[in-house]
Amino acid sequence: MYRLGVAAVWLYRLTWGALFPTTCKYHPSCSQYAVDAVRAKGLVRGSALAGWRLLRCNPWSRGGFDPVR
Amino acid sequence: MEPRRLRPRPVILFSPITPLEHAMRHVLNGLHSVGLPWAWSIVGLTVIVRMILVPLTVKQIHSMQNLQRFAPQMKEIQKKYKSDRQKQNEELMKFYRENNINPAASCLPMLLQLPVFISLYYALRHFSKHPPKGDLSFLHFIPSIADHTTTHWGGFVLLVVYVASQMASTLYMSATIDKTQRILFMVMPLVFVFVIARFPAGLVLYWVTTNLWTVGQGLITRRLMPKTPPPSLLQKRTSRTPPQQPARQEEAAAPPRPQTDGARPAAQPRKVRRKKQKRSGRR
Repeated sequence: MYRLGVAAVWLYRLTWGALFPTTCKYHPSCSQYAVDAVRAKGLVRGSALAGWRLLRCNPWSRGGFDPVR
Repeated sequence: MEPRRLRPRPVILFSPITPLEHAMRHVLNGLHSVGLPWAWSIVGLTVIVRMILVPLTVKQIHSMQNLQRFAPQMKEIQKKYKSDRQKQNEELMKFYRENNINPAASCLPMLLQLPVFISLYYALRHFSKHPPKGDLSFLHFIPSIADHTTTHWGGFVLLVVYVASQMASTLYMSATIDKTQRILFMVMPLVFVFVIARFPAGLVLYWVTTNLWTVGQGLITRRLMPKTPPPSLLQKRTSRTPPQQPARQEEAAAPPRPQTDGARPAAQPRKVRRKKQKRSGRR
């Protein structure tokens, strides 16, 4: 099931991500975080975690090293 | 039981994209009713979107310049952990935290454009099925912004402009100092052009406009703000602080820095250095 999520991330990387030459302020990047999260916690919880991470990835946050726990 | 089974299955009437598409058509209609042709409504839409994003990008540019201050140390870290990328990134992030650096990039500006892009795609698809009243052409070389980009030679011109603008905007906005990554981002549009060729010409038009906006923004901020002001000036700068005039004069008065001068200029991206020299030469 988690493959679905990973595939979605790759789809994003090949399309939308390719349009934007910016890198994420976090490490791992938001998309890698999403892959890790879906792998570790499953599709539902992983997606929720990734969504929360995307919201944190804004200009008012600190950024930095932030792996899936 | 029988009639129930015969009843047609409920069709999915609601998709998250439908309201977006409707909203997009309203916006385009609004811009069109003001007097803009359809193609220019898309340009207008892009300008509006980017104007909304200006506070974000200004912040991004500021932090990017702040980042350049630490370029030498960061280069050192990169050299130290050359073989281990994972470790390298972790160390860099630690360095960011220790020095209170807020890395430039964030996912927000590009995420905010995603719904715009998708809804524009659907709105244009609707246009190609039910053409609205009015002229769908753009600057005489694209017959219809709702058609696939490659249906007319004008579309190929637009694609070339797209690639050029994408590369230019990469030069101005890419937040990374990693060389291979920069090259990758320069090559990306060449690959992406095959995907984008299947899109309606109006979408490519959106993208070209947003890229040109990025380039313009980069040019303006470079004019208004010194590239690497002395750290003392950088300490308390916010987005509302006016550009520092003295730093600029100092920069202009200084002779072009020799290429072999210490770690600092060498650590800056090559492009920037060339630019600075050109500038001081002109004055």
